[in-house]
Amino acid sequence: MCSACGFPPSVGHWTDAGGQTPTERLRIRFARVALLNELLKPLGIGARDLGAQPGIQVFNGMGQTKLCQTLEEAWDQVELFTGTPFDPLTVV
Amino acid sequence: MNFEENRLRLTIIGGFLGAGKSTWLRHQLFEKTYDQPHVIVNEVASHAVDDTLLEGARCLDVLAGGCVCCDQKEQMIALLHRICNDRSSTQDTPQTRQLVFEMSGVADPGQVLTTIKNDPILNRHIILEEIIVVVDALHGLDQLRTEPLSRRQIEAADQILITKTDNCDEQTLETLLATLRQVNPASEHRASVFGVEKTLPDASSAQPAQLPKLDDLTDEPLLSCSLNLDEFGTNGNSWVSFSVWLSAMLHTHGSQMVRVKGVVRTPGGRLLLQSVRKVMQAPEILPDLPESAEPSSDNTIVLIGRGMNQERIHKSLHHVITKAAN
Repeated sequence: MCSACGFPPSVGHWTDAGGQTPTERLRIRFARVALLNELLKPLGIGARDLGAQPGIQVFNGMGQTKLCQTLEEAWDQVELFTGTPFDPLTVV
Repeated sequence: MNFEENRLRLTIIGGFLGAGKSTWLRHQLFEKTYDQPHVIVNEVASHAVDDTLLEGARCLDVLAGGCVCCDQKEQMIALLHRICNDRSSTQDTPQTRQLVFEMSGVADPGQVLTTIKNDPILNRHIILEEIIVVVDALHGLDQLRTEPLSRRQIEAADQILITKTDNCDEQTLETLLATLRQVNPASEHRASVFGVEKTLPDASSAQPAQLPKLDDLTDEPLLSCSLNLDEFGTNGNSWVSFSVWLSAMLHTHGSQMVRVKGVVRTPGGRLLLQSVRKVMQAPEILPDLPESAEPSSDNTIVLIGRGMNQERIHKSLHHVITKAAN
């Protein structure tokens, strides 16, 4: 188990592929969280990636924050915050 | 730098009861189509018969007395764990690289794949190569009309193998082909008689059979939608926006999306993505293409599902990519 985040060891999520060097991987993570913020802004939800720690932090305007291990978990959390799943087909 | 893919390559052979899975596999083992495979045979009956017919496998294991997607699930996981463990701890003999899994006639390949994907050990050791579904030319249409399971098997297939084509007239075969193309537009079709490859008729003008609505299946046909990521003007930097978009699509519309398949160029190399229903396989890194290679289908992703509107999907991905560029 990771002493920083408490996540049990697991195989990387498919969305974490795409970068081979640590720099590439970090760049992908930051670009991803920037895009998540753009998409979730209308819902009053934000996302953070601290870089040094694994996972994506998803938070809402009520002060609730959840550390999500993967992007899949982040979408689950967005659904918990809003009550409906985030539908990419409605993005304008 | 590219890592050599060292996971066990899994070929799943599915198909309805009596479709001819074992006959076909027996011939492939005789012809050595697979390189010294480890074969697993699952039979619903408590007394296995098929295993005695399969010679030529490097190893053979039998899971009898139930179906691997329900009552034999635990036994299947235990067996696969053992195979992976033996393979990792063997130093002297050449490692098995190919696993061929012949499923029982009542198993759903998609369920088995989900089980493997959800197991943290198997997920690290096994990678799906393809799902071959065997269809009986004589009874295939009837099974599609009456058996929800038969439709689910066809929907999960990468390759559909039509057997016993010598026993059926050309018109029936053409109707079956057209129907199979309607149920799973992305699959490849082949024909075989006793394991020997045969040519299929050109069924481009044939009309598919009308399939009735079944209890647990919607009668909406599957549609395919191709996305060429290069068309979105991202200069090859589409991975972040595409992965965010696709993960959200799978989260929200995963129950309608039966299959996603394609190769995406990323900073880390060419990634082969494939999902069955909501479950995305761990991506495989493919070797780089030589510079002299023909233009490839890289960055083209095929989505297959129900209720898919190509224009709406294009627009949605375009909006997400635009937001990422801002």
